Amino acid sequence: MTSLTLKINRFTLALGVVLAFSVIGIAKAEDGEYGVLMKTLANPFWGAMAQGVADGAKEAGVKYFQQAAESDQAAEPQLNLCNTMLERKPVAMITAAINSTNLLPCLKSAQEAGIKIVDLDNNLDQAVLDKEGVKVTFHIGSDNIAAGAQGAEYLVSKLGKDAKGPVLVIEGLSGNITGEKRAKGFADKLKELAPGLQIVASLPGDWDRGKAASIATDTLTAHPDLVAIFCANDGMALGAVESVYAAGKGPQVTIIGVDGNVDAVKSIKEGRLNASVAQLPYLVGKQAVENVKKALAGEKVEESIAVPTLVLTKDVIDAGKEPMLQYVK
Amino acid sequence: MASEQPGFWARVQRASVERLHIRLESLVVLLALGTAMALLSPYFLSLSNFLNILLATSTIGVLAIAATFVIGSGGLDLSLGSVMGLAGVAGAFVAVNLGWPSVLAVIACILAGAIAGYINGQLVTRAFVPAFIVTLGMLGLARGLALVISQGRAIYGLPPEIVYIGQGRPFGIPMPVIIFVLTAIVAHAVLAYTRFGRHTLALGDSEGAARAAGIRVEHHRRIIYTLSGALAGLAGLLFTARVNAGDPTAGINYELTAITAAIIGGTNLFGGRASILGTMIGALIMGVLQNGLTLLAVQSYYQQMAIGAVLILAVFIDQYQVRKESRV
Repeated sequence: MTSLTLKINRFTLALGVVLAFSVIGIAKAEDGEYGVLMKTLANPFWGAMAQGVADGAKEAGVKYFQQAAESDQAAEPQLNLCNTMLERKPVAMITAAINSTNLLPCLKSAQEAGIKIVDLDNNLDQAVLDKEGVKVTFHIGSDNIAAGAQGAEYLVSKLGKDAKGPVLVIEGLSGNITGEKRAKGFADKLKELAPGLQIVASLPGDWDRGKAASIATDTLTAHPDLVAIFCANDGMALGAVESVYAAGKGPQVTIIGVDGNVDAVKSIKEGRLNASVAQLPYLVGKQAVENVKKALAGEKVEESIAVPTLVLTKDVIDAGKEPMLQYVK
Repeated sequence: MASEQPGFWARVQRASVERLHIRLESLVVLLALGTAMALLSPYFLSLSNFLNILLATSTIGVLAIAATFVIGSGGLDLSLGSVMGLAGVAGAFVAVNLGWPSVLAVIACILAGAIAGYINGQLVTRAFVPAFIVTLGMLGLARGLALVISQGRAIYGLPPEIVYIGQGRPFGIPMPVIIFVLTAIVAHAVLAYTRFGRHTLALGDSEGAARAAGIRVEHHRRIIYTLSGALAGLAGLLFTARVNAGDPTAGINYELTAITAAIIGGTNLFGGRASILGTMIGALIMGVLQNGLTLLAVQSYYQQMAIGAVLILAVFIDQYQVRKESRV
């Protein structure tokens, strides 16, 4: 019988490993629990958002459980996670979909089960949702058009509304809605506030620092009197900074990025990048939870909630007085 | 323990290997896991959750079938995940960008996979480049081509017939599950009960002996790689239909998960021993583990650790058995 005993021991071992992993997260059924599904946590932006969700839930006194796909490209694994999370019967699903379609089957099931759906960080496309008959309780995220407009406001406040000269816009990946909104918000506001500042080129930089640097160099060759560059994210803005300084035109060209990431803040402090319109993912996460609680209590919640963005400049950072600065992670 | 008179356990084990072509241990681990999850989570035991597990396993399960054939024959296919991505993009391109009928899009998916697999087979058997290198190269080629065709962006808006393949539920059963289970049944029968299957495993056991026995080794290998590619194409179709987009980044690292399922299911990494039913149990062990841990709200990072641990454990148990048997 020794071999049987041995075998049983091995199964016990196998079970033990599984149990050990399970014990880490044993959670009993909680009534009124929120499900939170992120894209990934392996990036500071989503980390800050998760922190906001955690703090928001703590303050609001609600229970939640959170899952994230292994990367922000794992579309199918995220759908599988979403389906599984529904089995816990949450009262609300706060989801940051990897793209505008991958979670649709799961969101439909959620809707049928009467679960409230929240679009975290504006990843879902209202037109697609309407076509599929999915009703979202609310969308929440940074307002990218407003972020672009804030960039234009900063530029005009620096150069004056009668300023004249060529301006370059570097967009994101061509076809990406976020980059398009930022570029459009900037262009429209600039035209309104300072018609003398003319956008001579608006080109896709594909979120790529190197590509943005080449575009900046080429544009400086064509327009040596360039006065400003607006980039749809900070990475590209930092690439443009390098080109501008390499051409010896640092003081002449005002460069603005969007995101407020760590590298950008560092560059602003050093006086190279002029400004970055910071998103506040922490605030997005926190307000998402707060608003779900409101919606569940039957209060009216706006269908699209825009979380403010903050223009970071050397003055703002050095003064440290802006109350929203605490949310810049 | 008397070796003359095998005990009850040994007899059950032998019967399961002979009749079902699976090792009993993997089945016991699956059942034990299921029981553990059922005890730990009140949400685990339900029909809808079982369908969830099968649905979540379907894409990777089809790839694991491909991996089982290739590994069983002593080969290796690292390009499975990339070929799957390429096939999905090819299908979406045909349906959306060209606007051709859905039937052609389905054919395009499977054909794209089969062509990639055929190229793998040709290179392995004619150019004498090792399978590891050929399929590693194809991993890059197929992924790059998928990005070129789609211009780096997912192709959205597939016709309803294709979306039905991924999201339809005839009789309440998700379509991908039906396709996956039917594919698995056919593949199991082919590998376990046909001459083609016996030759495949003979090839993995000893290429020299297979050649001496009159098997057309190179020809057979080419068929296996082509079949592997075609199955990756089918997986690509399921993926594309499920998420309603031809995504050029689909299937990154899926080849490793598929190989893991095959190995947990008792496939010998060096060929000669393989069973589709075993692989399905391997895939389900991973599926149950992921599903259960998600229900228990365990972070997905721990889930990856758990699967890694199970893989090593499964091979450890396997090796232990093999050594014990060789001692008898």
